[in-house]
Amino acid sequence: MLENIISELEKQFQLEAVDHNSSDLVFLTIDRDHAVMAIDLLKWKFGYKHFVLLTAVDFLEEGKFQLTYILNNPDTKTDIGVRVRIDREDANMVSAHHLWPTVATYQRELKEMFGIDFPGSPRLNDPFILEGWEGTPPYRRDFDTKAFAASFYHQREGRTTNDPATYMKEKLYPNE
Amino acid sequence: MGTLKDILSPFSVWKQVLKEPVTIKDPLNRAGSDRYRGFHQNEIDRCIGCGTCEAICENEAIDMVGVASIASKDGDSGLRPMVDYGRCCWCALCVDVCTTGSLKLSNVYTWVDTDPDNFRFIPGIDKKPWDNAEKGYVKPDNYELYPLERVSMDHLHPEERDHSFIEIMKGYSDEEALIEADRCVSCGICTATCPAHMGIPEYIKAIRNKDVEEGLRIMYETNPLPEICGRICTHKCETVCSLGHRGDPISIRWLKRYIADQVPESAYADVLRQDSVEQNDKKIAIIGAGPAGLSAAYYLRQLGYQVKIYEKLQAAGGMMRYGIPEYRLPYDQIDKDVNYILSQGVDIQYNVEVGKDISFSDLHKQYNAVYVATGLHQGRSTRIPGTDHKSVYQAIELLRKITNNEEIEVAEKIVVIGGGNVAMDITRSLARMQKEKYGKVQIIATSLEAEGKMPADLEEIVEAREENATINPGWGPREILIENDKIKGLKVVKCLDVFDAEGRFNPSFDESEEAFFEADMVVESIGQGADLGFIAPEFMEQLEKDHRGRIMVDPLTYQSTLPWLFVGGDIIEGPDVIHGVANGHKAAKGIDLFLNK
Amino acid sequence: MSKKEFFPMDGDRTKYPEIKSDGTADIDLSSHKYIKLWHGPNHPGITGNMAVELTLCGDEVVEGITHVGYLHRGFEKLMERRKYIQNFPLVCRIAVPEPDYNEYNYATCIENLTGIDVPEKGMWLRTLTLEMARLQGFLMWIGGMAGAIGFGTVGQWANYCRDLVLDRFEELTGGRIYHIYILPGGVRNDIPEGFKDRMEKNLREIEGFMKDIRRAFFDNYVFKKRSVGVGYIDPAWVFDYGIVGPNARAAGFKHDIRKNYPYAKYAELDFEITTAKDSDIYTRAFLRFEELLKDIDLIRQILDKMPEKGDHISKVSNMMNLKIPAGETYVRSECTRGEYGYYLVADGSEYPRRVNVRGPSYTHGVALLEKMLVNVNIADVAQLMVSLHTYPPEIER
Repeated sequence: MLENIISELEKQFQLEAVDHNSSDLVFLTIDRDHAVMAIDLLKWKFGYKHFVLLTAVDFLEEGKFQLTYILNNPDTKTDIGVRVRIDREDANMVSAHHLWPTVATYQRELKEMFGIDFPGSPRLNDPFILEGWEGTPPYRRDFDTKAFAASFYHQREGRTTNDPATYMKEKLYPNE
Repeated sequence: MGTLKDILSPFSVWKQVLKEPVTIKDPLNRAGSDRYRGFHQNEIDRCIGCGTCEAICENEAIDMVGVASIASKDGDSGLRPMVDYGRCCWCALCVDVCTTGSLKLSNVYTWVDTDPDNFRFIPGIDKKPWDNAEKGYVKPDNYELYPLERVSMDHLHPEERDHSFIEIMKGYSDEEALIEADRCVSCGICTATCPAHMGIPEYIKAIRNKDVEEGLRIMYETNPLPEICGRICTHKCETVCSLGHRGDPISIRWLKRYIADQVPESAYADVLRQDSVEQNDKKIAIIGAGPAGLSAAYYLRQLGYQVKIYEKLQAAGGMMRYGIPEYRLPYDQIDKDVNYILSQGVDIQYNVEVGKDISFSDLHKQYNAVYVATGLHQGRSTRIPGTDHKSVYQAIELLRKITNNEEIEVAEKIVVIGGGNVAMDITRSLARMQKEKYGKVQIIATSLEAEGKMPADLEEIVEAREENATINPGWGPREILIENDKIKGLKVVKCLDVFDAEGRFNPSFDESEEAFFEADMVVESIGQGADLGFIAPEFMEQLEKDHRGRIMVDPLTYQSTLPWLFVGGDIIEGPDVIHGVANGHKAAKGIDLFLNK
Repeated sequence: MSKKEFFPMDGDRTKYPEIKSDGTADIDLSSHKYIKLWHGPNHPGITGNMAVELTLCGDEVVEGITHVGYLHRGFEKLMERRKYIQNFPLVCRIAVPEPDYNEYNYATCIENLTGIDVPEKGMWLRTLTLEMARLQGFLMWIGGMAGAIGFGTVGQWANYCRDLVLDRFEELTGGRIYHIYILPGGVRNDIPEGFKDRMEKNLREIEGFMKDIRRAFFDNYVFKKRSVGVGYIDPAWVFDYGIVGPNARAAGFKHDIRKNYPYAKYAELDFEITTAKDSDIYTRAFLRFEELLKDIDLIRQILDKMPEKGDHISKVSNMMNLKIPAGETYVRSECTRGEYGYYLVADGSEYPRRVNVRGPSYTHGVALLEKMLVNVNIADVAQLMVSLHTYPPEIER
């Protein structure tokens, strides 16, 4: 069933990768400019009308963000994950809020937490989870949560720990 | 929507007024359930301070801290977990991962104190009211966060191997090595016990990362004989492995072999990338190309010294080649390790006996330092009546001849005296030759030590028995009976204990319980001694020795009382390969220290 | 000022306030017709720590904006620097009253990507904890629902009943709130002896209370008067706003993941999807009450059908060193609020590349709530929020 949809999609779009996770879940990769069109088609033509989620994955090493839209067809009980790779520099993506009003919330979160722009999405720049955050959007992989916590919060004093191998060397054979 | 019923119905629950309240009247003394995850308990004597609890704690609530009353020793880091209850979330993953099973959570969860710092303590050391609580969370049965069973290695079965000298253990496949390496919890307890202090968790991690080349580099930092040690190391590391407390220890030795096996000899130079050593013109002579000599040569070359090894026999390897049989350590594997060391610019001369072909004082004159690592190649005799018969042999001599392909006597019935690894080596070698010559095995190995106390590795004893050799321990040899100049057999009496109350070697016997082992040939294998006759008397006099006549050296540098003379290998400690590797390495550093003062 | 002038849209309230071309409401705060009121963030009812910024005209809400972030810990980000196994004590905190769904989804993601099997009994025990979680989640919700409109006593009874379920959780898992019971390969511990009998005793007591709660709360003129016809969800909104779970079922959408995408052992259990029509506050509340009673029945079925013997967890490789090959998966399950999903991306390392939690409150608590708040009486805001059953931590994660 999913195979038919994919071959239909392949007629219209260039699918960069198709990964079958199981018989009812498939992930496919479409380029940035055509992804929302494909989602539009999936929603109206193929019945993928339940919008499950939209999120981003940071592939820092490759300089890319992956946006994942998971769509569900409640009648055929199948899911399609639409993946889009966008540049990390000046990250932006076509908004999909016109397809489902609730998508605007996801896009607002991605703007705040990843710094990905969705031009035209309602209330995109309103703070969502953070208040007055400045600097690297915190869900990017180059934001170091541990360093942030260490500098931002009070750390209990007097805590030290030892690595067993190093400690045993100090105690048993310090000069070797 | 609203009906009269909806107005009246709510009044029917007035009956609740008459019910007893359900409030817990004394919440501070409410008992937690049997499995409740409350405050930690740690059985301090069982805990070995491996730190896996700290490693798994996602809250960083556990610190490993030194405890005054617990000393670091083999298999116990001396550290104990200190829990910060400001961070602990009582998930009990620390309990599940605990390698010894010492850590538990009691079902006590209420404790009031005004000082926040009191909520940071070492369970088991700092006494708490719940230390003896019986209930609480213990790791459930049938559930482990890591496999406790070791991956067994494919090997030749007794009927396939009992007539040949083909290597028994076949080595791990990639998949097997990955599974075995995956079991390691990377605690690092093993490193201290390894005489060479190898980076064991690090090279096992390299296997997990499928980077055997990195693994090889890590091994060469502390051990230039990985193919050899990967096969015949006495693996003291495995005896202290934290997983050994509840399951099988990690097969550290086989994993070491796996790494070395994966890298072909031709790739070593590329992998180890060691050509950019700064050279100097100081010269070192090494006597003996055994593990200690080779190790010292390798690390001296890494430091830029000009090294020459003098070897009495026709090939390098020492006891590894001339003592250990081929079925445990094939010669091509010795060659692989040795060739790489020699390729580092080590000069070696074979068939040269110091003291005969070249004098010791000449070495002293020609070289800046001399390292003696000649090992223990002189077999000791029991000196019981009959040992002067021509069919009574020293195990070590026979093993050397087998390596050299020399003809040796293989009688139909043989008795081996000795219970160590050398005794097992000769027993199993002769058993193979008997099988080939006679089609059956009639060899008995007997030792003073009783079953279970023999110094040989258990697997050697088991495998010898699988090959139809008889191992009959617990007897003291009394006499080799000879009739018409032919050996009839060995008369033995029951040995009660090998050591006396003070732990000294002083066997006691039950003379009334005798036995007789029929034999045409007897092999003695009760230990070896050093032959240091090549050291000229004027030097020997200047060397400090202990009460048993052994040369004393500095334990860190292996320097003797003659500053230019360093002594190591089996002469000083062991006897085994890994001690030789370790003290060869230390001697190299000691020589460097001496020459750079 | 005439009444007409003050309430220019009196009549068709849905057209008030006027919506400008950019989609925002035409509200002039300087006109003195409006006041701003912050509802929360101090735990307004059982909805947790979220705030609704209300703009009121008289006692009528003309605009509501959801503010979350008061519980933000960055769970998803924290998970990226913890090994897979280390995340189990973390994920359960994303939905406090129903931690088991997080454990289940996360563990199933790992199992999907690594091929770890779960033994039969382990699966039954998972199903048991999931149903127990639903039961106690609904009980806690009843407390909130009743409390939001002043039925505090009913809330006390419901929370006492929840405590009974927590007692069983404590006995089964060793923890009352955070169970950390479901792990890759099964569950951590076998079921204790006599558990079934003690559970049955609790279920009977809960059923007794439920009869009283029905009489005192659901068959109650006051509650009906306040909630029927208020907070209506149009079936047309279901997909637009990603409405799931009881909120969608009450609007006639016959959709329950336990039935439509059977996971764990639900295919072997006998139950029907509960649906209703005209999703107003009362309908949704009553539908949840019915589901609660069905959960009691399901727990009985599970305990009856669960095999006595068998492993509760399979043998796994070293969890401290677990690496998951590059890949991604999505796993969903039906919690009290609807579709709870985990999207896991692995990159071959010992750490997840990304974990995204799809909490049902994400859509219910933000876009939907903001839409539904318009034209609601200020007195009904609390019960409207509770009737959508939101858990803020799963919004902000």
